Amino acid sequence: MTKFLAQKIAQYALVIFITVTINFFLPRLMPGNPLIYLAGEDVAFLSAEEKASLLADYGLDKPLGQQYIIYLKNITTGNFGYSYQKKKPIADIIKERLPWTLLLTGSALILSSLLGVVFGAAAAWRRGTKTDAALLIQFMFFNSMPSFWVGMILVAVFGATLRWFPIYGAQRAWMPLSGWAYYKDILRHLVLPLTTMVLISIPSTFMIMRYSMLNVLGEDYILMAKAKGLRENTIKYRYAVRNALLPMVTIFMLQLGYMFSGATVIETVFAYPGLGRLMFEAVTGRDYPVLQASFLIITVAVVLGNLLADLLYPLVDPKVRR
Amino acid sequence: MTRWPEFWKVFKEKKLGVIGVIILICFIAVALFAPLIAPYNPSVRVSTPFLTPSSQHLLGTNDIGNDILSELIYGTRISLLIGVIAAFISISIGLLVGLVAGYYGGLTDALLMRIVDLILVIPFLPLMIVLSAYLGPSFWNIIIVIGILSWVRPARVIRSQVLTLKTKTFVESARSLGATNSRLLFTHIMPGVIPLALAQFVLASSYAILVEASLSFLGLGDPFQKSWGTILYYAQARGAFLTSAWVWWILPPGLLTTILVLGFTFTGYSLEEILNPRLRGR
Repeated sequence: MTKFLAQKIAQYALVIFITVTINFFLPRLMPGNPLIYLAGEDVAFLSAEEKASLLADYGLDKPLGQQYIIYLKNITTGNFGYSYQKKKPIADIIKERLPWTLLLTGSALILSSLLGVVFGAAAAWRRGTKTDAALLIQFMFFNSMPSFWVGMILVAVFGATLRWFPIYGAQRAWMPLSGWAYYKDILRHLVLPLTTMVLISIPSTFMIMRYSMLNVLGEDYILMAKAKGLRENTIKYRYAVRNALLPMVTIFMLQLGYMFSGATVIETVFAYPGLGRLMFEAVTGRDYPVLQASFLIITVAVVLGNLLADLLYPLVDPKVRR
Repeated sequence: MTRWPEFWKVFKEKKLGVIGVIILICFIAVALFAPLIAPYNPSVRVSTPFLTPSSQHLLGTNDIGNDILSELIYGTRISLLIGVIAAFISISIGLLVGLVAGYYGGLTDALLMRIVDLILVIPFLPLMIVLSAYLGPSFWNIIIVIGILSWVRPARVIRSQVLTLKTKTFVESARSLGATNSRLLFTHIMPGVIPLALAQFVLASSYAILVEASLSFLGLGDPFQKSWGTILYYAQARGAFLTSAWVWWILPPGLLTTILVLGFTFTGYSLEEILNPRLRGR
C-alpha cells in the first residue's frame, strides 16, 4: 500500500512538474516578443524603463537554464507574477477566485454523484426494461449537449424571461448584504450554474454506476441472497448498491477534474467569478501570465483530488487494505 | 472486409446505431451541399442586424446582419470537419501507441502506459485553452490542439485489443513460420484492430466536436470560418440570451451540436458493442 501511494505521489509530482515546464517554455518558444507572452498584451502601454525592469525581473537576459531556476523558485513561493491588465499580483487574484470555483464544483460534485448513483442503480436494477432504456437515452442526450449552451438556455428561460434567478455573478453587486440574506443571495446566484454543471456531469457517473451495479448483480452472492429469500430491498441496497459503490470513490474524484475543466465554460456563461471565468478573461485580454497561473492552479487542484481518492479508496474497500 | 454484409446484418439489429448513421448521413449531406441549401452567403452582410425571423430570414439575422440560417448550414461544414480531422489525428496517434505498446510489451509498454497515465491526470480543457491562446484562433490550430491531446483513451482500448490478438493461434503460427515483427504487426494484428479503431474514431469525433464547441465559445475559434460554437460565442457576447433572440440565435446551434454528437455516439457505441469482444453480451 505504501509502495502504491509512493508511486502515485511520484506520478502526481511529475504531472505538476510537466505543467510548470509547459508554462515555462510556451511563452519562450513563441515567435515574437516574449515579453508580450510573459506579461500580457498590455505590455505595449509600458514605458521603456518599465520594460527593462520587467525583462530583468523575468531574467530574460540570462541563459535559459538559469531562467528556469528563477521560474521554479517563484512558483514554489507562490509568486505568479503581476497582471498588468488587472493591476494586481496574480496570487491575489487567484485567492479571490478560487473559493467560488470550489463552491461551484464542490456542490456540483456532491449533487451529481448522488443523482448519478441513484439513477444508475435504478437503471441497472431494472436492466433491459423501458425505464432502463429511457434513462440511458436521456443521459446519452445530456452527455451530448455543449455545457455552455445548457447554461445559456437556462439563463434565457429562468433568468431573463421568468426572472426566477439572477443571471450574473456570484452575489449582488450593489449594497452588500449581511447575515442570512447574504447566504441566501449567494445560494440564489449559485442555482443556475450549479444546475448546468450537475446536468452535464450526471451522465458519466450514471453510466459507470449502472455498469458497476450490473457487474455486481451477476455475482454469486446476489444469487445466494435471492435463494435465501431475502427481501428485495435488502438485496438491492445492502448487497448490490453497497458493493457497486466501491469503484465510484475513484470516479468521484476523477469527476472533479472534468468539473474544473467544465467550469471554464460554465462560469463564463454566468460571469461567475471563479478560476474558469478568469481563464476566459485572460484569453480575451491576452493576459498570458494569468492564463498560465489559472491553468497551474486547476491542475494542482485536480491532482489533489486524485490523491485524495487514492487515500480514501483503501478505507472504503477492505479488499485492497493490507 | 469480405464480412461487410454479415456485419451489416448484425448492425441493423442495433436500433440506436441505425438512428446514429441516419443522423450522420443527414449532416454530411448538409455539409456537402451547403452552397445549394443555404439561402445566403453566411459571411456577407445581407440585411439589417438583429432582425427577427421572417420569410426572408427564417432564423433572423445576427449582430452584423448575416443570415443566421445560412451561418448554421455552413457551420455544419466547419464543426463536422474540425471534429472529424481532429479525431483522425488522435486515432492515428492512439493506433500507433496502442499497437507498439501492446505488441512489444515490456519496457516500451510500461513507459508508454506511464505517459498515458500522466496525460490522463492533466485537466484537458484548460491545457487546450492555454495552447490555443498561444497559437492564436484558427481552423487548423484548433484541430491540432484537440488532435494531439485526445489520443490517450483510444490508445488504451487498442492496446488491450492487441494484447488479446497477440496470443491468438494464427499469430503464434505466423511467428513460428518466421514472420518478422513488422509483418506480424501489419498483416496479422493490424487488420484485427482496424474495426475497433473505427469505432474509437467515431466516438472520438463526438468528443472532438464538443471540445471544439467549447473552445470556440471561449473565443478561440476561427472568426472567418464560423462553427456552431463560434456562432454561440457571438450570440453570448451580444447578450442574445437577454432578449427573445435566444430562440432563433442560441437554441438552434446548440441543438444541432447535440444531435450531431448524439449521432456519433449512437453509431460509435453500437460499433463498439459489436466489435469489442470485451463488451459483447453485456
